[in-house]
Amino acid sequence: MTLADAAIGRPVRIRAVTLERDDAAWLDAVGLSQGEELVVLRRAILGGPVHVRTSSGGEFCVARELARHIELTVVSESEQDKGEPP
Amino acid sequence: MSATVALVGRPNAGKSSLYNAITGGHARVGNYPGITVDILECKLELPSGTAATIADLPGLYSVEATVDTGTDECVARGFIDRLRSEKRSFVVVQVVDPTRLALGLRLTRELTEVGVPLVVALTHKDVLKSEGRAVDVAKLSDAIGCPVVLVNARARDARAAVLAAVDDRLRKVLVADERATFDPADVAKGCVSDVATAAEKRRREFTKRADALLLHPVLGPFLFVGIMAALFAAVFLVAEPAKNLMDKLIALARAGVTAGLGKGLISSFIADGLVAGAGTVLVFMPQIVILTIALEILEASGYLARGAFLVDRLLRLLGLSGRSFLPLLMGHACAIPAISATRIVRDPRERLTTILVIPLMTCSARLPTYSLVLSTFLSHRSAFFRALVFVGLYFAGMLAGLLASWVLRRTATKGKGLPLVLEMPGYRVPQASVAARKAWQSSKRFLRDVGTSILVYAAILWVLLSIKMPGAEGRERPIESSIAATVGRIAEPVTRPAGFDWRINVGLIGSFGARELMVGTMGVINGVENASEAPAPLAERLRDAKKPDGSPVYTTRTGLALLAFFVLACQCMSTVAAIWRETKSWRWPAFVLAYTYVLGYAAAVIVYQVSRLLGVV
Repeated sequence: MTLADAAIGRPVRIRAVTLERDDAAWLDAVGLSQGEELVVLRRAILGGPVHVRTSSGGEFCVARELARHIELTVVSESEQDKGEPP
Repeated sequence: MSATVALVGRPNAGKSSLYNAITGGHARVGNYPGITVDILECKLELPSGTAATIADLPGLYSVEATVDTGTDECVARGFIDRLRSEKRSFVVVQVVDPTRLALGLRLTRELTEVGVPLVVALTHKDVLKSEGRAVDVAKLSDAIGCPVVLVNARARDARAAVLAAVDDRLRKVLVADERATFDPADVAKGCVSDVATAAEKRRREFTKRADALLLHPVLGPFLFVGIMAALFAAVFLVAEPAKNLMDKLIALARAGVTAGLGKGLISSFIADGLVAGAGTVLVFMPQIVILTIALEILEASGYLARGAFLVDRLLRLLGLSGRSFLPLLMGHACAIPAISATRIVRDPRERLTTILVIPLMTCSARLPTYSLVLSTFLSHRSAFFRALVFVGLYFAGMLAGLLASWVLRRTATKGKGLPLVLEMPGYRVPQASVAARKAWQSSKRFLRDVGTSILVYAAILWVLLSIKMPGAEGRERPIESSIAATVGRIAEPVTRPAGFDWRINVGLIGSFGARELMVGTMGVINGVENASEAPAPLAERLRDAKKPDGSPVYTTRTGLALLAFFVLACQCMSTVAAIWRETKSWRWPAFVLAYTYVLGYAAAVIVYQVSRLLGVV
């Protein structure tokens, strides 16, 4: 599953970023790195960007074509970080 | 001893507000060789008496990840690298939004790892309090190995707190840095505590509730169009009277020069060349100021990122992204601030494409020109026909711009693009003093960079229109034997397929730098005074002009061809100068002039010839 097709509202974790190294490193610096937990808040219409909130407290707008390169795993209830992001 | 204090931080961390608090809004553009983006700086004295220069760097996410040259991020990193390599006395103050502490600490970790003398300034103390969160500053400082101050960047005491911390850090400059390795998420969790009441927890949800409405899949786009329309209507309502006042002041100045120096070449050069040229620049000032404030309101409130989210898909089809939307929209008011606003576009190719197509947007200077050309050449047609042409011209500019970006992204600016990743900040109330400072800075920059070019151009244009061509025979009006008229006659065989005779060519030469000068120049060459203010006599003169065989010289087809040319040709030296300023190269301004003039000429010929086939007379 990639970020482009993740269900809205379900906690997921970034498993891998299948981009070139430089782009992946920049994405990591921005706050979308491997292991980061996130929730899809909404998607723009007609294949527009995805709006996500990360466990670090950031919210990002990610173009759908980029979202296809962010692979996810579903976070089980027992794994979920119950605390609010600092 | 003098020290440099560099303010760095992620976009929207509160850097502008903190810079304003520290410097009191005073700023000048620093002169740093090789750096093309304006870096604001201010000299002040630290509590210990040490002289310091505070430099406000562009937004930065990382000092390790690779970024494209020419972007704001690259500039900020280059600045820090230069401070390190020059072994100067310096401190980096990283501005961090404590409501997103874990994100900000990623850059902190990188900065400590490379060993720069660092102070972390947590801003938004007021927001933390209102949302019921508390930060243990001492614990955070211990965890990351550098001094931390918590301030409200909009309060007066922020300056003293930050400068005292900088002073302390400077004194420790010779001590080796503690190279901290920490997990930003763990540190943030350990240092931020939740002490919220029910009301404070509700306040935290404000951004969520606002987004549910403003980013709603159906309502969101409508609200967006409505907000943008209201904003631009407000800009015009405020800017128009100021622009008219500026016009009157320039006219008074020109009359004053003529009255003081009498009629003659020198007074004409000063009044019609230099003062008129300065006027061309100054009439844009109200728009520049008001648009800059509008842009700051959009950005500081957090809505700009939402706009990018809403329109990204549409612009992707044309090779752009949501970040290009605002500059393109601003281009409908004035290309000059719009070209400056392209700095928010991270992808250098996309930014260049946006710069190159902005001159095709129907800017406010085109509208009076369209009205004048319509009333001059098409006054005998029905009001409905003229209204239809007017609306068509507006959309033709938009369509041309979008098509041009599609073509450019596949040719001149071809290459891999960076898909949109944009941080969505929480909604905040914009700060009036920051907006005022930015408006002041953009006005100064506009006057400095664009004003100089326009004055030089105005002087050249005066020579072309006022000085007799050597060897030209004397004619009824001096302008008829001017250099411009001679060039106009030489160009006639080229422009005849578009229906333009030598008089129109002179008008086009006169309006090369500012399209609004077209009708005035046409008035002069046809012996009609004040044609810009009252075009009716000029319209009559043009309508009555006959060829030797008795047929009219100018027809509806001439007017339509002229309008097609005006939609596409970049007749604005201020825009050309702004493109030069942003690209730091004459290649791209020359490219814009070339492609828009070629397109304008081709469109004029097509319109003139096709309208003949369609039986338009």
